[in-house]
Amino acid sequence: MTDVANSEAKLGSAARSVGGRPASIFAARAAFLAIILLAWQGAVDSGLANAAFISTPASVAQSLWHLFRDGEIFPDLGTTVLEITIAFALSVVFGIASAVVLDRNDWLNRIVSPFLTAFNSMPRIALGPLFVLWFGIGIASKVVLAFSLGYFIMLLSTLGGLKNVDRDLLLMSRLFGASELRLFRHVRFPWALPGIFAGLKLTLIYCSAGAVIGEMIAAKSGLGVLLQSFSGRFDVAGVLALILIVALLVMTLTSVMDLVERRLLEWSRGSTDVPG
Amino acid sequence: MNASLDISVRGLDVNFGQARNVLTGVELAVRRGEFVALIGASGCGKTTLLNVIAGLVPVAAGTVTIGGAPPVAGRGDICYVLARDALLPWRTVTGNVEYGLELSGVGREERARRAATYIDKVGLAAARDLYPSRLSQGMRQRASLARAFAVGRSVYLMDEPFSALDSQTKLTLHDQLLGLWETSGATVVFVTHDIGEAITLADRVLVMSKKGIGVVDEIHVDLARPRSAEALQADERYHDLYRRTWTALKASAQ
Repeated sequence: MTDVANSEAKLGSAARSVGGRPASIFAARAAFLAIILLAWQGAVDSGLANAAFISTPASVAQSLWHLFRDGEIFPDLGTTVLEITIAFALSVVFGIASAVVLDRNDWLNRIVSPFLTAFNSMPRIALGPLFVLWFGIGIASKVVLAFSLGYFIMLLSTLGGLKNVDRDLLLMSRLFGASELRLFRHVRFPWALPGIFAGLKLTLIYCSAGAVIGEMIAAKSGLGVLLQSFSGRFDVAGVLALILIVALLVMTLTSVMDLVERRLLEWSRGSTDVPG
Repeated sequence: MNASLDISVRGLDVNFGQARNVLTGVELAVRRGEFVALIGASGCGKTTLLNVIAGLVPVAAGTVTIGGAPPVAGRGDICYVLARDALLPWRTVTGNVEYGLELSGVGREERARRAATYIDKVGLAAARDLYPSRLSQGMRQRASLARAFAVGRSVYLMDEPFSALDSQTKLTLHDQLLGLWETSGATVVFVTHDIGEAITLADRVLVMSKKGIGVVDEIHVDLARPRSAEALQADERYHDLYRRTWTALKASAQ
């Protein structure tokens, strides 16, 4: 987990050093996007692909515009955002808390770890219909489905970080007279932080997927309900517009987390060892 | 009991696991304010002896007292300096030096003041706001020394703190350690496998037997203080002590 975070940090700093001129990076990105959109539109125009199957950029844009202009989407968007928020918050709180307990209690860890692995190995999406049966068609069943995905990611990434804490840092702190509470605050937790951030971003992605897929199984409202009705009508542009909305939502939240991570993990930046 | 005696080890046995004698019948006496170096072949138990004094390894038999009290890890009057610098990567040099003070219960203002003083003493003033990842090995070890001496304890236990450094950097660090120690009045037990380092730093060099029976020879280093690690390189008495210690070390390994 730490490695993942470190390599991300390094990629981040590499991108920054290359992008001494950020304007040119943005221009290149815009050009890349334009190429994709033109190829898409061109494939349809030239008859290479059928607009009924893949739609066109213009129709997707139009669908997006309609969704927001009529305000049709807001109740559903609200439901989905609420489900994601609750499931994400629960995953983070319980995931981190469980990891701390399991890290400090090896006996308990040895007992429950096969069960955790077993549950994490299950295709939770396939349990979706059961969750609906147990928790109804309201938001509860979606929160449970999303939580069942997010919780394990948070638990495992935090536990991974806590487990590989540098023994010398713990020993040094103990010899200076640190209490268990201080060891956690000053050594274990900061050590696990890169892993926790890697977990947070994955958890958000999986919670979003869980919520939307849960809604597609059975729900009263939510983007997943809209998705089902659009695909039932073969409204490809509508489906793509909704998926784009979810993607943009997750990307926005992820970049907020990136910002926080960059501030908190400033110390890991450019951590190449200077010899001598 | 001798009042000037700070560390006393009598008839110490240490076992690791089932009946594996690591140390048997070890004796050690260190006076208050004395700088003692422990040298010996790998596996002679010098780090184990240090860890016993630090309270990290249980005593199977015998008595060990430091300042009249038995060893306990995390005692407020003992500071242990590890072979690795063990700096917290998420704290700057200042933050790391303050960390030791914080764990010792020193208030915020006093922490900042003492950290600045000791960072200055080891010549890291220009690097005080850098994270350890930006520092060289030598600078990291200097930060570690500043952290150790800023807390002002009466006994310092050091386990090969300079073993990862090149010989040139070592000499600088020796001078800095001597500077910190001479104003501290602390008792030091310094484990090393480097004879030159032992003679440069210590009042007495204790040679441990490879058989795990403890100290078998000692060399009194009567070089005047304050010493300069670099000047000693050209001192004939230093080389004479070096040869004597080398012979003793060779005999201890047989």
